[in-house]
Amino acid sequence: QEKISWRVQSHWPSASSSYKDSLMRLKERVAACTNGRLVLEPFEAGALFPAKEIFPAVRRGVIQMGTISPAYLPETVTTAGIASGLPFAFRNVWEAAYFHKQLGFEDMIRAEVAKQGVYYSTDKVYPTEMVVKTPIQSLDDLRKQKIRSSGALQRFLTATGAAASYLPGPELYPALSTGVVTGAHWGAAQGANSMGLYEVAKHHVRPALNIAGTDAFIVNQKALDALPPELRKCLIDELDEQFWMRTNEYQFQERVTLAKAIKQHGVQINQLPQEVLDHMTKVAAQQWEEEGKRGPEARKALDMLKKFLTELGYLD
Amino acid sequence: MSIETLTLLFFGSLLVFLLLGLPLAFVLGGVSIVFLYFTWGIESFYMVASQMWGSMNSFTLVAIPLFVLMAMILEKTGVAQDLYRMMHLWWGGVRGGLAIGTVAICTIFAAMVGISGAAVVTMGTIALPAMLARGYDKRLAIGCISAGGGLGILIPPSVLMILYSLITGVSVGKLFAAGVIPGIMLAVLLGLYIYLRCRIQPELGPALPPEERGDWIEKLRALRAVILPMLIVAMVLGSILFGLATPTEAAAVGVLGSLASAALHRQLAWPMVSESLLRTLRLTGMIIWILFAAHAFSAAYQGMGAQSFIEGLMAHIPGGKWGTIIFIQIVLFLLGMVLDPVGIMLITLPVFLPVVTALGFDPIWFGIMFIINMEIGYQTPPFGFNLFYLKGIVPQGITMGDIYRSVIPYTLVMIFGLILVMIFPALATWLPSKVM
Amino acid sequence: MRAVTRANGWIGRAISPLLLAMFVLLLAEVFFRYIAGAPKVWTGELTQMLFGVYAVLAGGYIMARGGHVNVDILYSRFSPRTRAIVDLITSSLFFVFLGALVYFGSSLAWESIEFWERSQSAWNPPIWPVKLAIPVGAILLLLQGLVKFVQDLRIALGLPPVDLGIETVEPGADS
Ligand SMILES: NC(=[NH2+])NCCC[C@H](N)C(=O)O
Ligand code: NA
Ligand code: NA
Repeated sequence: QEKISWRVQSHWPSASSSYKDSLMRLKERVAACTNGRLVLEPFEAGALFPAKEIFPAVRRGVIQMGTISPAYLPETVTTAGIASGLPFAFRNVWEAAYFHKQLGFEDMIRAEVAKQGVYYSTDKVYPTEMVVKTPIQSLDDLRKQKIRSSGALQRFLTATGAAASYLPGPELYPALSTGVVTGAHWGAAQGANSMGLYEVAKHHVRPALNIAGTDAFIVNQKALDALPPELRKCLIDELDEQFWMRTNEYQFQERVTLAKAIKQHGVQINQLPQEVLDHMTKVAAQQWEEEGKRGPEARKALDMLKKFLTELGYLD
Repeated sequence: MSIETLTLLFFGSLLVFLLLGLPLAFVLGGVSIVFLYFTWGIESFYMVASQMWGSMNSFTLVAIPLFVLMAMILEKTGVAQDLYRMMHLWWGGVRGGLAIGTVAICTIFAAMVGISGAAVVTMGTIALPAMLARGYDKRLAIGCISAGGGLGILIPPSVLMILYSLITGVSVGKLFAAGVIPGIMLAVLLGLYIYLRCRIQPELGPALPPEERGDWIEKLRALRAVILPMLIVAMVLGSILFGLATPTEAAAVGVLGSLASAALHRQLAWPMVSESLLRTLRLTGMIIWILFAAHAFSAAYQGMGAQSFIEGLMAHIPGGKWGTIIFIQIVLFLLGMVLDPVGIMLITLPVFLPVVTALGFDPIWFGIMFIINMEIGYQTPPFGFNLFYLKGIVPQGITMGDIYRSVIPYTLVMIFGLILVMIFPALATWLPSKVM
Repeated sequence: MRAVTRANGWIGRAISPLLLAMFVLLLAEVFFRYIAGAPKVWTGELTQMLFGVYAVLAGGYIMARGGHVNVDILYSRFSPRTRAIVDLITSSLFFVFLGALVYFGSSLAWESIEFWERSQSAWNPPIWPVKLAIPVGAILLLLQGLVKFVQDLRIALGLPPVDLGIETVEPGADS
């Protein structure tokens, strides 16, 4: 029987836990399910295409599949901003998972991405958390921070009164160690650990800045349609299962990594005080409205989110 | 076609077209396109445009034109010439003294930047004419600049070390610390080589005749020449160490320093600045077009299955732990001759590192050897960025052949340094174990 | 041919001061972040955008000045006529590379223009102009390559090369 081989460009560097645990896992699961007839050939970050070029490459069918962050989706996907995380919305990972799967948010973003001829499937939902060199114990402490951030969270942190600036990945560690910046977020515990941030910033801030479906798989629709039905079913089913499996496993890995960092690097948890929390939540709610203005789909998703958060008792 | 055959053809065509004198950027780009056509199809050419867009967005590259501009201004305003006059007055009696001094300045430079090119351009612009004017052998002079410049990625900060840690998950801080001693050791070895070589062959780096060495008054007066360069170093290094600026921003601080020096020399005028800007554009544009094409070249090679080639190679490893390590170093050395270090890292590290750690070796130690090997790769013919930088700035009459030959002895010295680190891992591992 | 060469010379002189702008922006960011305690969202990204344009558009100018380095080990031993003939042959690689870059670079830029693409960063500026620099830079280089092709053809046929008037273009064309 014919063997089909797909090139998969990842946005994860090979040292990132997700490269192995998400992408390599999927590769093995798909191989097992299809008896080796569908081979996913993974490429680590930057090997064939730079991160922001993965989506165009998959859309054009140059490569059949990729992993991305929804932040790299084109602006025409209006729900992308909500998928990549509204600040201070969910408080627990299961809430974000429920919103994606049971309330149908993932179907909304999938439908928007489908208009580009691409199939979209969330890899997992997980938190984004900050590390800082000196703990934040008051609003004043927050305003004194110089935080390395990016995208929507950079706008958010600036709006809270902190000085947020963007630095490219390679400049992050040196900048944090010399104090050019005093804090940063790179994923949460595992991300911070992989970048060596705990060596130079010992305070892990809780709660999360956001919890969201920040990693996703994309597949060229034509390539997907061209698969024999049983292979296609394998891939779609495995992608579906992947979400639950990875969301759960990732939480476990976060715990383990943080526990290690506490032991090895003397990291401390910096629980934000109530005054800071209230302030940040208020600023966040104003930012959400911006996302709603991106289009009717985004508006609908945002209303759905607010209703859900109200049900949970987080909004009144 | 098997990946082994493809590899042979791919690098074979690279070599042939290079020898035929087509500029590097076009050889790399053209060979990539032809091979992509036969192995993947026309739609894959999109990758070349994509990679170009990726390189345009690489922040670490921004430091290159800034350091080049700094060097051009320092040269145009005579600050650099004064510095070398001072060095000659003071060290005039030491054979090869200027070349040793050049390596020393490269070492300081290495602590300011995370790339290798910055020091190569700066010293190539400033030091090379000074050495040639004083009768130094051109190969001795060119080679010491290329080798000294390479220290930029071994002595922290280092862009390649950060990339190494991203790919392998090894701590950046530890790598930085681990690079310090081998970096200084390599600088000393390079200096020692120059000293010994010039003792044996004084004509390579002639000492200043005693009557020209000047008296103490003259020597002391000449010391003023170091004030401005020292000030620039202090500004750049200080801005990094005190957390004022990132390494890239520090390059801008360096430009500021050079402009200030020009002003103090009463030379700050638009024609001088505008000419420096044009020369900077020519040099950096040339390098960055090579990088554009080199990134496409590595991507094309990866798309052809480079990683499975490396995996295949691992099946031929000779016996024993040490056999593996030595074998890997040889593979890296060979790849360093034809590929961009960033590409080499992406292709080989995911394959090599698991093997190395499974054998029980320290990934930090391995990382330092890897970086030294990449440093060698920056200057081994035919493909090495330090060589291209030099070609872009050397005076008329110095050919690529001269540059290629100039690096041979220095490469041997660096390989010797690599072997020392291999035999005495503590050179790399002691400092990180002390400070972290 | 003269027009292409002159245009590239003009572009070189026009874009070289962009580096001063990058220099000022980077220093400004240090100032804003450290002294004023309020980093700006736009400095770093604007620097990067200028850098991209600066590097890409330089290609044709550098070619016009013979600045793309090559390996001259054998080449320097050839006679001018042999060189011209060899260059005519090897230029096939140049043309496939630049052809691909022009075509797919245009396609990449066009896609960006279609949506008036923005960068999605905190500042979120339009980035289609920077992407547009890719095909523009590639075309400038391609045209200069055509000029060289014609020159080589003339030399190979024993005709005198066309005077491109480079000497008079600017000061400091020495290196
Ligand atoms: N592909 C890259 N980002 N390379 C960065 C290094 C470039 C440059 N040749 C240097 O080391 O000086
Ligand atoms: Na360095
Ligand atoms: Na090399």
